Amino acid sequence: MVADISTGLIALGSGLAIGLSAIAAAIAEKEIGVAAIGAMAEKEELFGKGLVLTVIPETIVIFGLVVAILILNLAG
Amino acid sequence: MLRPHDMCSVIVTGPKNVQESVIKELHNLQVLHIVDHSKNDLADIGTPLESANKLSEILVKVRALISALNIKTEDNEFELKKGLTNIGSNLKRLNDEVNIYQDELKKIQQIHAKNDSLIQELNLLKEIDVPLECFTAYKSLSYVKGYVKTEENALRGQLSKITDRFMLFYKIEKKGPFIVLFVDVKYKEQVNNLLQRSDFSPVNFANLNDHLSDLKGSASSNLRKLEEANNNLKKKIDYNKKRLELIGKESQGFLTAADSFLSEQLEKAEAPLKFASTPSSFLIKGWVPTEELHKSIERLNKVTKNKVFVHFEPPKKQDKVPIKLDNAKIAKPFEFFINLYSMPNYREIDPTFFIFLTFPIFFGIMLGDIGYGLVSLLSFWLLKKKLPKFGNFFNILMLASFVSILFGFLYGEIFGFEEIGHYHLWHLLSRSHDMFTLMYIVLGIGVIHVNIGLIIGFINIYNDHGLKMAIYEKASWIILEIGVALLALSFLNKIFIHPVIGAGFMAIAVIMIYKAEGVKGLMELPSIFTNILSYIRLMAIGLSSVTLAVIINESAEQLFHNGGFLVLVGVLIIVLGHILNIILGLFGSFLHSLRLHYVEFFSKFFHGGAEKYEPFGLKEE
Repeated sequence: MVADISTGLIALGSGLAIGLSAIAAAIAEKEIGVAAIGAMAEKEELFGKGLVLTVIPETIVIFGLVVAILILNLAG
Repeated sequence: MLRPHDMCSVIVTGPKNVQESVIKELHNLQVLHIVDHSKNDLADIGTPLESANKLSEILVKVRALISALNIKTEDNEFELKKGLTNIGSNLKRLNDEVNIYQDELKKIQQIHAKNDSLIQELNLLKEIDVPLECFTAYKSLSYVKGYVKTEENALRGQLSKITDRFMLFYKIEKKGPFIVLFVDVKYKEQVNNLLQRSDFSPVNFANLNDHLSDLKGSASSNLRKLEEANNNLKKKIDYNKKRLELIGKESQGFLTAADSFLSEQLEKAEAPLKFASTPSSFLIKGWVPTEELHKSIERLNKVTKNKVFVHFEPPKKQDKVPIKLDNAKIAKPFEFFINLYSMPNYREIDPTFFIFLTFPIFFGIMLGDIGYGLVSLLSFWLLKKKLPKFGNFFNILMLASFVSILFGFLYGEIFGFEEIGHYHLWHLLSRSHDMFTLMYIVLGIGVIHVNIGLIIGFINIYNDHGLKMAIYEKASWIILEIGVALLALSFLNKIFIHPVIGAGFMAIAVIMIYKAEGVKGLMELPSIFTNILSYIRLMAIGLSSVTLAVIINESAEQLFHNGGFLVLVGVLIIVLGHILNIILGLFGSFLHSLRLHYVEFFSKFFHGGAEKYEPFGLKEE
């Protein structure tokens, strides 16, 4: 497979879009996850609420994914 | 089905002399969720029945024995001769027997431990040829024992500079060189100074000093005696432990049965603590499922010969009604997710049935592989056999795995392969090739799911606050979606209407949301679209799972072509790789499917926070 540099740059761009947003989501989820586990240790019934709060930043990755797909799409 | 069980608020009152029979009957009926009375001016809380003290006393003993004998409390078919005196006397006999062995064991273990530390100390003196009785106080002689950091010859040299009236024993131990030094008492101070300079740390033989009077002869001969004694003690310890183990095995049935019987009796005896009570009467407040009400009243009247009065009424709006979920048998396992999150309020719709419909589908869309589905179905079936306690949970997963197999057929995928041999599997949609088609489909699913949530929310608010609030709070979001859709379509020239129409819809929706929820609502405006976008994960997680499977297959295939020993490596890669991918896929599919329900779906209608219905007398599963 022969690919020119522009294809590489497109791939790099969409890779960065996903990768960086994943790191951001991970950092956010880390903070919330720690607090959620702490709360659960006190009161086990909070699992459901803890899970919900912990996964909220995941949306950031979805945005990253959408942007990555758009980059790939626009570049053809 | 979509609502919790109907409940009735119940108040039972009667004279104190029938209290015990009422408690007994309620315990048998297992229908009344008791609301604890808190002390007020009118009535105090009740006092436990007379038997409570005795019961808890015996129960403490039973539990002490259970923990002392290391008994695992599991179900058994031991037939307990009921009656407190019977249990009490059996317990006393058992307790005495256990105590004898435990006391003995403790005594022997103490001696054993003491001997052990003595042995350690003697080991240090083992090669030093000085009788133990010499380690005593002298007028003309001083001695020290301990660790130094100087080499033997250097130390000897330094000592002989001070005096030649010394005797030094020097040996290398794990912690460093160990010395015993006898020296003329006149030079004690000088020697001490010397030793301090070479980092001397003295060792005090606490155990040895205690026993000096009864230890005669060399350290090594004493060591032999002590080791022999300890071997005998060890045998005795083992014997006692074995006896205790045996007693534990024999009495396991009795103790577990006694534990559960006594706990039950104690629960009854302490029930009045939840009642309101006056010197001669009692009052129990609680909730009963409406369909059980009349039968329960009849039974209570029968056992008390009509001496109790039962008042009942339907719940009022502000009442905190305990929730008993009511679902068809097939959807019942999915109540697990509601238990995990929060009970719906009495007037809310119970979303269990919707989870039952959509959870397996979401799971299937993500896992979607015939091979993976079959493997997980089989493993969850086996796990269910092994751990029947979590049967409900595994039922959910088995259903989800089954749906994964169906989606596997739609995708035409088996362990990531799209063809077996040269036979190409039929597929409706290939995930790895028509990624964008799948993305549009899951976005559509997202729109439907979120809007089902909004409609449920609409119904909830309509029931609680009327039509106007329902339209402002929930229908407004649907109007907003329509507005955005019209605007987008008209800009993309898919439909030929003026963009202002779409914008108008949006403006109306925004005003309605502002009226219903204020500024907070406006801040939430984009959330509906992020919620819908969130459903792209249904495609993304599936895609990552397929890609991993394909990579595993391709790398193994290359090794197969190379032949020889590498074929084995290839097999290993295939087996381990797919196991790992299945585990990852199961975790991902489960959590993300759950998340779509908890976050995207529930946020549209669910408030929850109600108490779970826990009738008096029903044992927790």
